[in-house]
Amino acid sequence: MSTTLVWSAITIYVTIAIVIAFLSRTGKQNNMNSYFLGDRKMNGFVSALSYSATTYSAFMLVGLAGLTYNGGVGALGFELIYLMGVSLVAFFGPRFWKVGKKFGYVTPSEMLGDRYDSKAVAIIVAISNCIFLIPYSAVQLSGVGYLLQGVTDNAISFSTGVIIATALAIFFTYIAGIRSVAWTDSLQALFMIVTSTIVVIVLIKGLGGFSGFFGTLETKYPEYLTVPGNGFFSFINFLGLSLPWFFFSLSNPQVSQRLYMPSSLKSMKHMLMGFLIFGLIYTIVAVIWGYSALIMFPNLENADMATPLVLQSDLVPPILGVIVMVGIMAAAISTIDSILLTLSSLFARDVYGNVKRNTSDSAQLKVGKFVIPVIAALAFIFAQMEVNLIAVLSVSSSAGLLVVVPAIIGAFFWKKGTAAGVISSVVVSGLIVIILELMQMKPLGLASGLWGILISTILYITISVMTKAPEEKAKSFLSV
Amino acid sequence: MKNELRWGLIILFFVLIAYILPYTLLTNVTKWYGSFFVWIILTIIVIGINYLITKNWGKEK
Repeated sequence: MSTTLVWSAITIYVTIAIVIAFLSRTGKQNNMNSYFLGDRKMNGFVSALSYSATTYSAFMLVGLAGLTYNGGVGALGFELIYLMGVSLVAFFGPRFWKVGKKFGYVTPSEMLGDRYDSKAVAIIVAISNCIFLIPYSAVQLSGVGYLLQGVTDNAISFSTGVIIATALAIFFTYIAGIRSVAWTDSLQALFMIVTSTIVVIVLIKGLGGFSGFFGTLETKYPEYLTVPGNGFFSFINFLGLSLPWFFFSLSNPQVSQRLYMPSSLKSMKHMLMGFLIFGLIYTIVAVIWGYSALIMFPNLENADMATPLVLQSDLVPPILGVIVMVGIMAAAISTIDSILLTLSSLFARDVYGNVKRNTSDSAQLKVGKFVIPVIAALAFIFAQMEVNLIAVLSVSSSAGLLVVVPAIIGAFFWKKGTAAGVISSVVVSGLIVIILELMQMKPLGLASGLWGILISTILYITISVMTKAPEEKAKSFLSV
Repeated sequence: MKNELRWGLIILFFVLIAYILPYTLLTNVTKWYGSFFVWIILTIIVIGINYLITKNWGKEK
């Protein structure tokens, strides 16, 4: 791919996105509610697209395509079971939304802190979210670096790619907080889905149409159409991979915070339905992408190379290839900026707001805005360093965030849950997840996420039963 | 609340099917209409259920 073409495409994308970001500036953005939640006035259409862009990162067309390349149809099952898990929004969405409105919560960890009547809960959940999500953002940043480096044969260096991605993420966050994030996300979501769908149609056509495409798979790679197939997706691996993701919509604050934002339950309905349809299409596209790579380049050592190779293949016209490359970049950046915004709200609201006494809303907003580039800088530095722990934290992010799920479910459905139960479940099982990932251990063959959710559920329930629950709080919270 | 429980169980049922079918009946069906198709159909069913659950949101509450 020619470097001039790549640069031109990036320039056009950046220009359009910046214009959209500036146009999104409405309202005063001078308080936490406005800056981080858009005054709880988001419409359904933008919410749906932004939710999609935030959820789906560069992982889809690089990682999921790679998983398909390595293990076949199990990748589809894994991602679709995740999508089915987003049904949790149909049950928890209205609950988050109502308590958020009534008690004025800005962050999910603030909600937990109030519900369990403990500042420590808010602080610990917020910090644990940061520990797992900053490395996750770092890996997204380096994804952009590798992508640009790969498609231009090193003409654009890894560092340049990472710098571009970091700068854009800060910029989209800074212009107007969640409003600029949501609107640029929406643009990027449309871009991601339209361009990648076109490429997949082109690929299927080039590889013999639907019957030719699946005919090749059925005769040459039959094991890629079944699980466990070539063994990559053994049932236990499949379970360990899919279960943490099943709860993603609750466990990841950058998406659960979205449940406070829709202007009405009708908007929330549109957000959920829009996202589910987007997710189904994008998942099928990513998996077919991986299959195409398998048919075209069967013997790659590193499956992550599949996507750059497909983009540069003869089947994909260069213009289209470069547009999709920008689409993948957009997918990464739209995930990073949302995480950046959410983490800074967590820090400002739950860490700063609780550690320092009597902070005003405007002081928290100031801290939040100050922290945005700091977190971005941390992610940037992590992306440059090849540190084992960072890769480990990123891989274990879904498992590490999962340990908060019992506390979230209990907040709405179990009066007897206590702060001690939450803190012990989050801290102990969070550490266990990190240790298991660091040591690459799978006791009894079970992945870290499964141990995490199991231990955190047990700890949450047993410690809660042994300690005294905040009855008044529970009552007023559950009566909403 | 009662309605929610019913819907929750129905979704859980389809999720379990999504875990079980591909690893039992479909392990040797090396065709597009094997696991590939079944997972997609199950997801469409679950999306349909979400539609039914959220149909009246914003109207009654």
